[in-house]
Amino acid sequence: MKLSSALHNKDWLKPVFGVTIIFILCILFSPESSKGSIIFLKFDNLTNVLRQVSEIGIISIGMTFVIIAGGIDLSVGSVLALSATLTAFGIMDWQLGFTFTIILALFSGASTGFINGAVTAFGKMQSFIATLAMMTAARGFALFISDNNSRNIGFGENAAPDSFRIFTDSFAGIPLPVFIFVAVTIAFNILLQKTRFGRYVFAIGSNENASKLAGLKVNRIRIYTFVVAGLLSALAGIIHTAQLLQGNPNDGVGFELDAIAAVVIGGTSLMGGKGSISGTFAGVLIIGLLSNILGLHGIQKDFQLMLKGVIIIAAVFIQGNSMNYEWKKLFTKRS
Amino acid sequence: MLSFSEISKSYSGNEVLHDVSFDIDYGEITALVGENGAGKSTLMKVLSGVIKEYTGKIIVGNEVREFNSPREAELAGISIIHQELNLIEDLTIAENIFLGREPVTKFGLLDFEKLYEDADEILRGFEFPFSSKTKVSDLNVGWQQIVEIARVFSIDSRIIIMDEPTSALTESEIRILFEKIKILKNQGKAIIFISHRLEEVFELADEIVVLSNGCFVGKFKNEQIIKSELISKMIGKKHYETQRTINDIENEILLNVDGVDVYNKKKIISGVNFKLKKGEILGLAGLLGSGKSEFLKFLYGKKSYLFTGTIELKGKKIIPKYPHCSIDENVYYISKDRKRDGILTGMNITENSTISVLQNYVKYGCLNKKMERQEVNAEAEFLNIKMNSLQQPIETLSGGNQQKVLLGRGLLTDPELLLLDEPTRGIDVGAKEEIYNILMELASEGISLIISSSEIPELLRICDRILVFSRGKQRAVFNTSETNGEEILQFAFMED
Repeated sequence: MKLSSALHNKDWLKPVFGVTIIFILCILFSPESSKGSIIFLKFDNLTNVLRQVSEIGIISIGMTFVIIAGGIDLSVGSVLALSATLTAFGIMDWQLGFTFTIILALFSGASTGFINGAVTAFGKMQSFIATLAMMTAARGFALFISDNNSRNIGFGENAAPDSFRIFTDSFAGIPLPVFIFVAVTIAFNILLQKTRFGRYVFAIGSNENASKLAGLKVNRIRIYTFVVAGLLSALAGIIHTAQLLQGNPNDGVGFELDAIAAVVIGGTSLMGGKGSISGTFAGVLIIGLLSNILGLHGIQKDFQLMLKGVIIIAAVFIQGNSMNYEWKKLFTKRS
Repeated sequence: MLSFSEISKSYSGNEVLHDVSFDIDYGEITALVGENGAGKSTLMKVLSGVIKEYTGKIIVGNEVREFNSPREAELAGISIIHQELNLIEDLTIAENIFLGREPVTKFGLLDFEKLYEDADEILRGFEFPFSSKTKVSDLNVGWQQIVEIARVFSIDSRIIIMDEPTSALTESEIRILFEKIKILKNQGKAIIFISHRLEEVFELADEIVVLSNGCFVGKFKNEQIIKSELISKMIGKKHYETQRTINDIENEILLNVDGVDVYNKKKIISGVNFKLKKGEILGLAGLLGSGKSEFLKFLYGKKSYLFTGTIELKGKKIIPKYPHCSIDENVYYISKDRKRDGILTGMNITENSTISVLQNYVKYGCLNKKMERQEVNAEAEFLNIKMNSLQQPIETLSGGNQQKVLLGRGLLTDPELLLLDEPTRGIDVGAKEEIYNILMELASEGISLIISSSEIPELLRICDRILVFSRGKQRAVFNTSETNGEEILQFAFMED
């Protein structure tokens, strides 16, 4: 009784609860090593889960802002590819050095985000369409820059500086991308929960008309949400390049759908006005944990994908969030 | 004969129809008149099966009938033409006219030839200049209205209800419509005609039924009643004392509106002239669509219309452009449509209250939620908002309490001028009283208010002066103590 009322009052508790359940299931169903220890719980395995989800995770944080504000961003995968390409070319061919390469990559994300937002807000266009166009265009731009080739990264004279290796380094046994993911989660959770901007994001997602009448500069706020999404996608692109030591303009296909899935599993409503960063963090972990445990059992990608489809629906139903609400509305209308 | 017998209907405790009984004869045109909210539309919704829950009886012929849907009513020979058009814009005129009753060939396919032939036949009767193959979206609103009417003509209805059918039509279109209505009458059909344009009522109707505050006032033969008499019947017997005296007001002028005409492609509001003093409550009276709501939206900058004339706020010329600019000038507006333009669904009472003033609570870049809660708490206490906690989602409150939260949202911005559009719309009687008292208290604290309302008694009670709009024009300004409901209504019904 106490638990269910606690879950009712604090929306963000639901996904945390979900992660805990999945975590326990993973322990129960984990294969055992020859010495009898639980492979899933090994430190290396757990950090590996976090490392694998860090890119999608960072993108999902940005996607959460856009979706709470009542939009959607389909261009995140392409922006990742553009940023990855710029990173590889910046550090190898153009010899921009560590700092300027990263600034360039982040700038590409911020400007694509700005364009997404401006077209949506001032062009009075649905963000689905505006970002669909950017999804195509950003990918095209990445292919144009790279002349349709991926760029490998090497180190040394006239190549990448050693400082670029930092992204593959580990600290206290934990890879840097994991630290970045966690730091981004904490920082953007504060931005969403504790600042004026965060409150405004909820408000315009909940009721754009009312927000405008209450004196909010709705267009500006909407653009910022897309800039956040673009910026974080570009950050994910830098990490992507550094981990693979390659900038590939064809990478990141389908990332937008993985990110949307994580956000939705985390309890954020596609109708806007409702959601949380902690939920998205949990959503990302749920997806990561499940593919990890399936991988440990040697289950192939095809089956994993099918199961992921089922998990998305199940997670949303169990949480009884917006989707479920829509269903309820549908049924009450009928009767 | 069609009879209404003791029809009553309430919405959440508010009685909107009270024991309404009268008869309507076939072969006659009956006009239904009354103020906004008198219950005309509700009564017609009861008759046409839109409203299913009511008490009393509807007797058609000698049978008591109950309709569960508009479709059932239509099959029983009762058709309604709504004020809002019900056409499917992407279909052709013919497809709309015969929607759900399309002729089919013996193979079960649509018989387009017959469809368009039959439709053209009906349209000819309306001197319709387009082929029935025209898409409805290509027509202007006037012709769309005629299509809607043609649809009803094609059904063999015995009772035809028209809710303000002429509001979007031009003079020549109205002539054609009236001719058709007279033909229908001669065919022995019963026509029920709702209109705010009393001139039309007197031109067309045989019988005039007056409703007031949900009650049946009387049924009169056209020849036996004149316009001013009709209007005084509509206002009813109730008498309202104003609770305001001119002495309450300081003399400093806050807002000076001088010769303002407002344009949205064409002129939509004209000749607005008034001075609003500090701590004064000005009422805007008028029928639906008279321009009173539009004027408030314009003044707040909800829509940035072009205008001529001058508007001075605190002696400074202003051009209303955006809500956030108006808020900076200490002007705040609350819409009549709470759900669409007011509440932030899914967000709690605190968040809903402070959305316009978040800058006041920023400390080290973050919101100081404790300070926020304290201020909202004080405001909620002043407004007497009934709630379980400040964390409660706003949509779980009653209409009256939602309205109080929105009022609180405005008050937190420290306004000097409050623009309220129908501030007591859809809220129960008790909450209405509370809101009246709150508004008068605010005025005594020096806030000026402009209140637009369709309920004249409400304006008479709480306003110092009342400005009357009709057809987009300012017609008169009265001191509340020197006027009465009848006089205001006379001006509200004024035509060019």
